[in-house]
Amino acid sequence: MPRDLPYRSAFVIRFLIRRLISAAVIVTVVTAVVFQLFYALPRDPARAFCGRLCLPENLAILRHQMGMDLPVWQQFLVWIQGIFAGRDIPDIGRCEAPCFGYSFAKGEFIRETIVDRLPVTVSLTAGAIIIILTVGVGAGMLAAARRGTWLDSVATSTSNVGGAMQIFFVGPLLVYVLSDTLGILPRPTYTDITASPGKWFVGLLIPWLALSIIFYANYTRLTRSMLLEQLGEDYVRTARAKGLSRRASFFRFAWRGAMIPIVTQVGIDLGVLLTGAVITESTFGFHGLGELTVQAFVNTDLPMLLGVTVIGAGAIVLANLVVDALYAVIDPRVRLA
Amino acid sequence: MTVNRRALAVLAAGALVLTGCAKGGAGGSAPGQASQSPSVAMPTQAGESKQAKVKAGTPQDSQGPAIEVPGSKKGGTVRVIASSDFSHLDPGQIYVSNNAQASELINRGLMGYKQLRNGDVLVVGDLSADTGTTTDGGKTWTFKLKDGVKWEDGEPVTSEDVKWSFERLYDPIINQGPTYVQQWLVDGDYRKTYPGAYSGKRLDTIETPDAKTVVFNLKSAHPDFNMALAMSGYGIVPKKHTMDKSKQKDYDKKPVASGPYRVVSHIGDKSMDLERNPHWDPATDPIRNAYPDKWRFEFGVTAQQSTDRLIADSGDDQTTISINGLGSERIPEVVADGELMKRSISGYTPFTDYWVINTSRVKNPKVREALIKAWPIEAIHKLSGGDAGWGHRASTMMSPTVPGFRKFDVWGQLDNPEGDIEAAKKLLAESGEPNPTIVYAYGSTPLPGKVALLVQEALTKAGFKYVGKKIDSGTWYDSVGQLDNGFDVFRSGWAADWADGSTVMAPLFDGRLIAEGSTNYSQFNDPAVNSAIDEANKLTDPEARGEAWSKIDEQVIKQAAVIPGFYLTYLDLRGSKVWAEMDNWWGSTNLKTAFVAE
Repeated sequence: MPRDLPYRSAFVIRFLIRRLISAAVIVTVVTAVVFQLFYALPRDPARAFCGRLCLPENLAILRHQMGMDLPVWQQFLVWIQGIFAGRDIPDIGRCEAPCFGYSFAKGEFIRETIVDRLPVTVSLTAGAIIIILTVGVGAGMLAAARRGTWLDSVATSTSNVGGAMQIFFVGPLLVYVLSDTLGILPRPTYTDITASPGKWFVGLLIPWLALSIIFYANYTRLTRSMLLEQLGEDYVRTARAKGLSRRASFFRFAWRGAMIPIVTQVGIDLGVLLTGAVITESTFGFHGLGELTVQAFVNTDLPMLLGVTVIGAGAIVLANLVVDALYAVIDPRVRLA
Repeated sequence: MTVNRRALAVLAAGALVLTGCAKGGAGGSAPGQASQSPSVAMPTQAGESKQAKVKAGTPQDSQGPAIEVPGSKKGGTVRVIASSDFSHLDPGQIYVSNNAQASELINRGLMGYKQLRNGDVLVVGDLSADTGTTTDGGKTWTFKLKDGVKWEDGEPVTSEDVKWSFERLYDPIINQGPTYVQQWLVDGDYRKTYPGAYSGKRLDTIETPDAKTVVFNLKSAHPDFNMALAMSGYGIVPKKHTMDKSKQKDYDKKPVASGPYRVVSHIGDKSMDLERNPHWDPATDPIRNAYPDKWRFEFGVTAQQSTDRLIADSGDDQTTISINGLGSERIPEVVADGELMKRSISGYTPFTDYWVINTSRVKNPKVREALIKAWPIEAIHKLSGGDAGWGHRASTMMSPTVPGFRKFDVWGQLDNPEGDIEAAKKLLAESGEPNPTIVYAYGSTPLPGKVALLVQEALTKAGFKYVGKKIDSGTWYDSVGQLDNGFDVFRSGWAADWADGSTVMAPLFDGRLIAEGSTNYSQFNDPAVNSAIDEANKLTDPEARGEAWSKIDEQVIKQAAVIPGFYLTYLDLRGSKVWAEMDNWWGSTNLKTAFVAE
């Protein structure tokens, strides 16, 4: 048996380094574009926080505090420097690395606000994706294994209904039915997981359920069709012909082959769930990054908007990096790409 | 006070809701005692006896404790849901009413508003032992601090704190609050005359002969000075804790309490927790009942969400009150449901909404009169949700909550709200301009667009040539505040800054104040009115002042400088296990008298 482990490891490491470099480039480009776009807007962020009785000298002080008295390229470099080395904000104090700046609307360092809000969005997204994968992939596998039976029909048709709905419809409907009418679950609330894991779990059940109803349909359909395709492939039929059990050929061969598009879909949906948090959090009154983005936009809080956008972009790039890494694990051909 | 969140919410929603349902609706009631509850009934018709009266209290009224609410209980946690955080809690930065409401739980001023059980409101001494004394017609004012008033660190509130608080208002860092008193204490532009507390210089027009006495030497007589001090923007801050100017933003989120509650935590746009200030003595406070042990504020809950939660009334929401006002989409459902209305909080706000007639463009009085006669006020009233939606039809500029308010109907708008197209045509014929062009500006949200269609229809019928101009609602007051704005008619709203007609009629109709960005949107300049404003300002007797301002109100209306619109009303819900009533001064849910009922 050839000793291929060092050979494979070297490929995986080179593959991951390539992906990491490209991810860093993407985040930097997104940041530069967003920075330029925000500061090109016909709005003066300093004026927005100068108050009702704004005097020219106050405006000048604020512009200095916000770094707006520097050229845009220099502001960008200062901003980047803050992320890696921290920076001093005039009259406000030291902003330690990673420093995303200071929100003059909130009177807070942006990193502190994001750290406060991030667990809400991560809880919503992570819990939802677990349920989506469990229910969606499970239903798809069941439909493929019992193709043509009533189970297949039920799994396929219910997923179609779910996929046609929107969170702002499903969310309030579930709250009305499960909380207000039947009293089975409490109305959605967010409790810090460290304060009470039980309350955290129960308070998030309805949002998770709502997101799952909408998203699981894709996975059911995708899993079913990919499994059926794989089960019809020559290598699976050969394995069966050589005496491999139906169960073994299903899980060891067909299932592995079907995973690539599912993992791809997870990468896409993680981005959709994160960016869609704006609507999800508004629907349930949660104070996560989505709500923070809306508030920053309404308040013309450009430093906050910039911080949230960059964090969001970073999270999506990271999710795709993980997906890429999973490709490499699932399919050896990818490592050579 | 032009910021009008309730009106903006109604205008933004633009929902078509039923009208008339609120008339005679049940008022709010305490849990378990619907018939005996100290409710402020749903206002029924403008000018009738349901609206609160606001006047100065006696020295006795300034003494604590606050009047007990029948059936009240101490303890528990009251939860409050609101669409947005309080943008400022540093008293010097407070101008809008929602900030003021929360501030009242934490901060105290020399003066404040005390609500009586019949719903009327008295302006009383808060930190001050009385409503202040003046011996020279309002030029020199003396206030004596009560015994036993303390900060949350146990230190006493002193006259030096009071002087410092006012000196601090001159610093450029204080850029949001009211500016009346700053101007009254110096000659010339107050920003240029005195650089403020942080400069190290002192303001010699405020004297502190002893630790409990403060004397204000105004540059001219202001008989309503004590009333002006009831603005939350003139709350007192501790010198010891506000000397570091760089910490102002922190102080703005977490001020040092002199009121019954101190801020435990305040997470911007998310939540705020208050707990009892152990050094607050109820015997010194005639205004705040402070029944709950704790308050939990939750921000980011829209009006529709808060309404839905309070309708559902489950779990913690049973001890929750809203300060959003009812989501306009839910008004018909709530007013039609007797059980829900038992948990309602309703009454007048201090705002009057009206349509400005730009007198610098529409110069012919007959044309202005024709506009008023043709105006489809009842159609707009129905469109916007009736009394519970936009409010009650108005015929004056001063709202029913302003002292001296008197109901008159110069143009018969209350008797003939549908408008009188024939009378308008006749007036246009008499004016010599049978088909004048009218440029009507309206906001970019849905309801103003629908209102504009009604206006277009009515004005066209009367013979006007209608030109509509849609402008961004977000920059509405910037646009209409320009002198050369190009608009003939547009909507505006106003509320008194304190309980005196001067804060309505002078900023809106004193012709000498016309300037870029000024609030005299009608650009109305009548020497007779200007002179009447001066005369009214000299009066010291509150009743005489009220009467004088009401006369000026009528004088302006007679010259057709505005089309009166609506006295704004407020409607909201509370949970079934918490009691809350209407705050008749702020026109919203009263936090000072709320209590957990079970």
